[in-house]
Amino acid sequence: MNYLRLSVVGVVVVVAALVVVPSVTLHPAAGTAKVAVPVSAAASSSGIPNTTSAINSPQPLSQRVVHYEMDAKLDPKKKSVDATEVLTYRNLTGRPQDTFPFHLYLNAFQPKSTFITETHNGEGFRGDFEWDEKEEASEEVKSFEVEGMGDLTKQIQFISPDDGNPNDRTVFQVKLPRPVAPGEEVKFHISFHDQFGEVVARTGYKRDFLLAGQWFPKIGVWWKDAWNCHQFHETTEFFADFGVYDVKLTVPQNEVVGASGIEVASTNHSDGTKTVEFHGEDIHDFAWTVQSDYHVFTDTLQSSLGPVTMRLLMQPGHADQAARHMKILRQTLQHFDDWYGPYPYKQITVVDPPHGAKQAGGMEYPTFITGDTSWWMPDGLHVVEVVVEHEFGHQYWYGMVATNEFEEAWMDEGINQYTEAKVMDDIFGKDRSIIDLWGVTGGELGLDRTQYLAAADRDPLTRFAYQYMNFGSYGDITYGKTATVLHTLEKVVGEDTMRRALHVYFMKYRFTHPTAEDFLKTVEEVSGQNLRWYFDQAVYGTQVLDYEILKAESQRTDWFGKKLPDEKKDVTVYHSKVTVHRKGDFIFPVDVLIRFDNGETVHERWDGRDRWIRYSYDKKAKLLSAEIDHENAIGLDKDEFNNSYVSQGDESGRHKLVHYWIVLQQFAGQLLAWFA
Amino acid sequence: MVNGRGLVTEGRQLVWRNQRVLWWLFAANLLLAFFGAESFAFKLAEVMDHSFMAQRFNQGVDLTLLASLLNHPGVGLRTHTLNSLFFNVVFFVFTIFVTGGILESFRSSRKLTTAQFSEASGHYFWRWVRQMLLFMLVMTPVLALGGAINWWSDTLSSDAALEKLGFWVMLGGLALTLLLAMIVRLWFDMAQVRTVATDERSVLRSVGRAFKLTFSNFRMLFFMYLRISLVGWTFLLFGLWVWIRFIPATRFWLSFLVLELTLLIWLATRLWQRASESAWYQRYEVANPPVAPVMMDAPLAYPLPVPKTEPAETIVASESTNQEPRLPSMADPQPS
Repeated sequence: MNYLRLSVVGVVVVVAALVVVPSVTLHPAAGTAKVAVPVSAAASSSGIPNTTSAINSPQPLSQRVVHYEMDAKLDPKKKSVDATEVLTYRNLTGRPQDTFPFHLYLNAFQPKSTFITETHNGEGFRGDFEWDEKEEASEEVKSFEVEGMGDLTKQIQFISPDDGNPNDRTVFQVKLPRPVAPGEEVKFHISFHDQFGEVVARTGYKRDFLLAGQWFPKIGVWWKDAWNCHQFHETTEFFADFGVYDVKLTVPQNEVVGASGIEVASTNHSDGTKTVEFHGEDIHDFAWTVQSDYHVFTDTLQSSLGPVTMRLLMQPGHADQAARHMKILRQTLQHFDDWYGPYPYKQITVVDPPHGAKQAGGMEYPTFITGDTSWWMPDGLHVVEVVVEHEFGHQYWYGMVATNEFEEAWMDEGINQYTEAKVMDDIFGKDRSIIDLWGVTGGELGLDRTQYLAAADRDPLTRFAYQYMNFGSYGDITYGKTATVLHTLEKVVGEDTMRRALHVYFMKYRFTHPTAEDFLKTVEEVSGQNLRWYFDQAVYGTQVLDYEILKAESQRTDWFGKKLPDEKKDVTVYHSKVTVHRKGDFIFPVDVLIRFDNGETVHERWDGRDRWIRYSYDKKAKLLSAEIDHENAIGLDKDEFNNSYVSQGDESGRHKLVHYWIVLQQFAGQLLAWFA
Repeated sequence: MVNGRGLVTEGRQLVWRNQRVLWWLFAANLLLAFFGAESFAFKLAEVMDHSFMAQRFNQGVDLTLLASLLNHPGVGLRTHTLNSLFFNVVFFVFTIFVTGGILESFRSSRKLTTAQFSEASGHYFWRWVRQMLLFMLVMTPVLALGGAINWWSDTLSSDAALEKLGFWVMLGGLALTLLLAMIVRLWFDMAQVRTVATDERSVLRSVGRAFKLTFSNFRMLFFMYLRISLVGWTFLLFGLWVWIRFIPATRFWLSFLVLELTLLIWLATRLWQRASESAWYQRYEVANPPVAPVMMDAPLAYPLPVPKTEPAETIVASESTNQEPRLPSMADPQPS
C-alpha cells in the first residue's frame, strides 16, 4: 500500500545482479514448521496443480499449500457477488490439524468491527472519519462443507484473537470432526455472498467500477507453530500461503475485467453475461476489477526469465497518461529484475481507479496493482511514478517474499520504501525523485527522513502493525524510518553490499514467509559484519541518533603575550579544538572532517560511544570548518544542521528563506487589509 | 447619468499623483513584514548560518529540506507564524487608519500635508472600524456560499460521472465568490468615499446610501472594478511567472526586487480601485449638486458641515465635463 508517497527520476540501468550473485535455491519458509516436501513430487500426487502456465519457469516456484477454485457471479446493480469456493489445503504443518481459521476481510467494513472502531478512535486511514452506510460491506458464508466430513456450516465460530471484540466478524474458525494428518490434503467447499460497499480501504465500488480485494474466505497461515489469522485492523494488511488460483468471473459482457494471474478463457452466455477465467500460480492472493469503459493498453517486456505482459486498465479520462504509466512500470520492472532478482510471472496488471475511488489506489496484490493519478497530474509531480513503482516493488516485498504484514509490516512496506527510493533516485535523480516542478524539488530519501523525524522515538520497527502508538506512527515508522534505517546502513556496509544483500535475501526467501531475523542475518552474512549493535538500536529499539559539533575554534598559541605580533598566514601558530558531542542515545561511528585555512584537511573517525570527544591541533593555520558525516549518509541523524560548524558563516541561505517569508507575509497582509 | 468615460484612467492618474500614499503604504507593509520575520530570521541564523546545510538552501527550493528546517525544534515555526500574524493585524489596523487620509488625498485637488493626512486618518478611524464590522457581517454569507460551493465541488469530484465537473464547479464557485466579494467591497468602498465626501457620521446610513448609489450605477462601477482587478491579477501572475521561470534561486536581490515589485503593483491596483471610485463620486456630485448649496462665504471648520439634504439618488444624465462646484475638501484652501 502506498500512503500518498511521491518520488523521482533518472536513468542508468544497472548491471546484472544475477550474474554477480550466485543463484540460490528455494528455501522452505523460514520460521515455520513446514515439512519440506519436494515440490514436484508433492504436486504430482496432489490435488494442487503442478502447472506452470502463468509463470516463466518450467517448475513451480513455491511450495503450493493451497489451491483456490472459485466461481463468482457479479450482480452489477446490487454490487454483490455470489460465489462458490473449493479450497484444497495441504497440511504441511507437521502435525495433525482439526481446527482451521479463515479470514472474512470484507466484514471489516461494518460499524462495530475492529477496523472501523480503530479508524473512528484513532487518527485513521481518513483523518476526518465518519461512518457512511454506503461503505458498509459484508461477506457471508452460506455453506461450509468439508469433503468427506459433511456440512459444517453450523460449526462456524467467529473469533477475535487480537482484541476480543465480539462484534468483529473478520475471522472465523471451524473444528473438523477428525484431524487432517500431516501431508494430507483437505478440501473445503464454501459458498458465500459478498456485498461490496463504496470503496474504502482498498476494496469496493464507485459508480460502475469495482475493485474486489479481500473478497473470499481465505484460510490462515500456520506460522511459528501456530495458526496466524489476525483480525482485519485499520493498519494491517495481509498474510497468506502460496498456491494456485483458478477463478471464474461471470460479469456482464460489456465489462472489461482485470485480475491477478493470466486470463485463460472467456465465454459469452446468452443472458448477456460472460465468464472470464483466470489462472494464477505461486501467488497468495487474488484480486479483480471490472469497469465497462476501461481503456486497455498492453506492452511486453523481456525479463531475465522470459516475456512479461504489462497490462494497463486506464480510466478514459486518463488515457493520455498511459505512456507515463507504462514507462515507469517498464523501468521499475527492469531495475528490480537487474538488481534484486527475476520477475517470474507472465503478467503484471496495473489498474487506474476512477475519481472518487482514491482508497482503491496505491494497492498491491500478486501480479495486480493499482495506481493513483488525476486528470491534472503534471509531469514534474511524480505521483504516478511513485505509486506504480511502489506497488510494483511489492511484487517482490510481499508478493514473492511473503512476510507477515500483520506482525512485521516494516519488512514489506519499509523494505519496499527503501527500494523505491533507490529505483526512483536512479531513474529521476536524487533530490528530485518526488517532485521537480517550477524550481521546487524533493527527493525520496528526504521525504522518508521527514516521515521518520515525525515519529523518531515512538515505536520500534518490529511492533505489530496494529499495536503502533497510532496511525501516524505506524506510517512514519513502517515506511519512513525503515527506509532511513536501511539507507543509513549503507554507510556501514556500503551501497553495493546492501543491494547484494537484498538480492540474496530475495533469492533465498522468495515464495516463503521469512521473519525479521532472516532478513537481518542475510545482511550480516552478505556484508560479513556483525551488525547487532546497529539492529538492536535501529530495528528493535527506539534510540534516536544525533551527533553535533559542539564547539570548533582556533586560538593563537601566543595569546598570553602583552604585545602580540600581527597574525600572519603560515606563520602564526593556532591551537584549534573541535568538540563532537553525542546528543542522542543511539551510538553510531562517525567521521569528522576538519578543514584548515591553508587547505589542509584532517579526517577523524570516532566510534561515537562516549558522550563526547575533543580533537586538538597546533598548526600554522586556522580552523575553517568541522563536519560530521560530510557525505550526508547518516539519514538517521535527527538534526543535520548541527553536524557542521563553519567559522565563516554563510547568511545567503537564511536571507533567501527570510525573503520568502517576508513576501508571503506581505501578501497575506495585503489580503487581510482588503477587509479594511 | 455620470459619464464613466476615462474613469479608470483618471483613477490611475490619481494614484500616480498621490504615489506618496502608495509608497508609504507599501513601506509599512514591507516594514511590518520585516518585523514579523525578525524572530524567524534570528532563529534561522542560530540554526543555519554556521552550518554547511545553509549552502543547500541556495540551490532552488528543496521541499524535504525545507520541511526538515521548519520542523527543526530550534526554529519553532509556530511562534514565528503567530508573530507574523500579529504584524499583519497591525498592518490591517494601519490600513484602516490611513484609509481616511488616502480617500481625502484622492478627493483633494492638491497634495495633503502630513498633518492634514493624519488628521483625516484619525477623523474617520472609528467610523471605518464600525464599517469594517458591518462589512464582515455582509461578507459572512458570501464566504459561506464559497464554502458551500467548495463542499459541493468536493462531492462532485468524488461522485459525479464527469471527473472534471467538480473542478469546474470549484473554479466557477471561486470566481463567483471573488466577484461577489468584489461587489461587496465596491459597495463598502463607495460608503467610505461617500463618508469622506459628506462627513456622514452614521455608518448604517452611509452604507445604506452607498448601497443605493452602487446598485443604481452598478454596471459602470462593477466593470470599472473588474477591469482593475484583472490588471492586478494579471500582474501578480505575470510577476510570479517571471520569478519562477527566469530568476535563478541564487540571485537573491533580483528575486527580492521582482517579488516586491509584484506586490507593489498588487497594492497599487487596490488603491487604483479606490481612486477610480473616488473620481466617479466626484463626477456624481457634479452631476447631482446638493439641493441646499453650501454657504461658500461662511467660515468653514473641520469637520465639514454635512448638507442637510442628500444628493438625489436618482441619477440625472449629464454629459458635462466642466468642473462644477463640489463639496469642499478639508485639503482645499479654507476661506478665512
